[in-house]
Amino acid sequence: MKKKIKLPKLGKDVKEYILVAINKEEGESVEKGETLYEIEADKVVSEIAAEDSGVMGQWFFEEGDQIEPGTVIGEIEA
Amino acid sequence: MIYIDTGSDNIYFNLALEYWLVTEKKPDDFVLLFWNSSPTLVVGKYQNPLEEINMEYAKTNKINICRRLSGGGTVYQDNGCWQFSFITKSTDTGIDFKQFISPVVDVLHDLGVAGAGFNGRNDLVIEGKKFSGNSQYIHGGYTVHHGTLLYDTDLVPLVEATTVDPQKIISKSIKSVRDRVTNISWHMEKPLSGIDFKKKMVAGLLGDGEVYKLTDDEIKRIQEIALEKFNNPDVIYGKSPKYSIKRKGYFDGGKIEFSIDVAKGIIKDVSVAGDFFGTVESSNFTEALKGCPYERQAVLEALGKMPGEVYKISKEEMADLIVEI
Repeated sequence: MKKKIKLPKLGKDVKEYILVAINKEEGESVEKGETLYEIEADKVVSEIAAEDSGVMGQWFFEEGDQIEPGTVIGEIEA
Repeated sequence: MIYIDTGSDNIYFNLALEYWLVTEKKPDDFVLLFWNSSPTLVVGKYQNPLEEINMEYAKTNKINICRRLSGGGTVYQDNGCWQFSFITKSTDTGIDFKQFISPVVDVLHDLGVAGAGFNGRNDLVIEGKKFSGNSQYIHGGYTVHHGTLLYDTDLVPLVEATTVDPQKIISKSIKSVRDRVTNISWHMEKPLSGIDFKKKMVAGLLGDGEVYKLTDDEIKRIQEIALEKFNNPDVIYGKSPKYSIKRKGYFDGGKIEFSIDVAKGIIKDVSVAGDFFGTVESSNFTEALKGCPYERQAVLEALGKMPGEVYKISKEEMADLIVEI
């Protein structure tokens, strides 16, 4: 079953994040709680952990992309 | 609150200490560090040193180069620039700078720096000139907040080392914002020595908190992290966002221009143009350099294996041109 990875909103004034690191490539196994990706806004870098275990599916964005909170950025085959 | 004297002006050690605290020590209490560095340029997590730093100036003046884990732009630090670090468990996932910076402003006011205040970018200013830049990273349930305090910094290298020739680099990296800057000591009626400033800042921030001394084993472990995570060219240069760079040179044999794509420190593609003569095609360069680390020695070795020659442009000259670092 495919689980969507949705970009969180970490600060009330943040309108956009930069995806600064993708830590799991497509096809890699993912454990819940592992750092999946990192985002930056307003000089803060936040690590985002996987909410599900499974196999990393497709990423819909690449490092350096500017993305609005709430956007689906990838999926995990859980 | 707990205060730890880092006992070092080595940027790599001090950033490793922060990282060790949030990954291995995992303190329950709020931790304060207050430290300085020998001359160092520190790029943000998602920056490219080649876009931000005058590499030749940094090399000539023996300025360290480092990549931090937090966001934002490039800063220059020397022993006249103090750095405060706050390490705490993340209480929520919101971005909040003021809880960390306000106490710093309060102590500066107590020291007679009445004009110290905030600007709109979470920096601290006096009369509109910046003296403190702040950034954070959030890792494993902890927040690391660190900020600079220009106290008595030599502002000449600060400007020179971050004035970069407009190389033709295309990337999505975060670009630094150039601000007008000032030193705190210039705004004190009776400036303190650097050490006395540190003592008063620590006393004001720590209040009735405790002091913790690192053990020899802890220092050894932090030194290991410093080498692996911070004082490591693979991290400083290899962690740059992917970029395309053009490098042009004029030699006795003519003009030669390389267009190079680099990702994770590895050359992904190369094309060559110019009015040089030789027995080598552009495709020979592509085949030789594709997959090669973007480092001078590796490039020189790859060129050494390439068939053909360029008339009156040596492979050493081409390696120097291709890789500045």
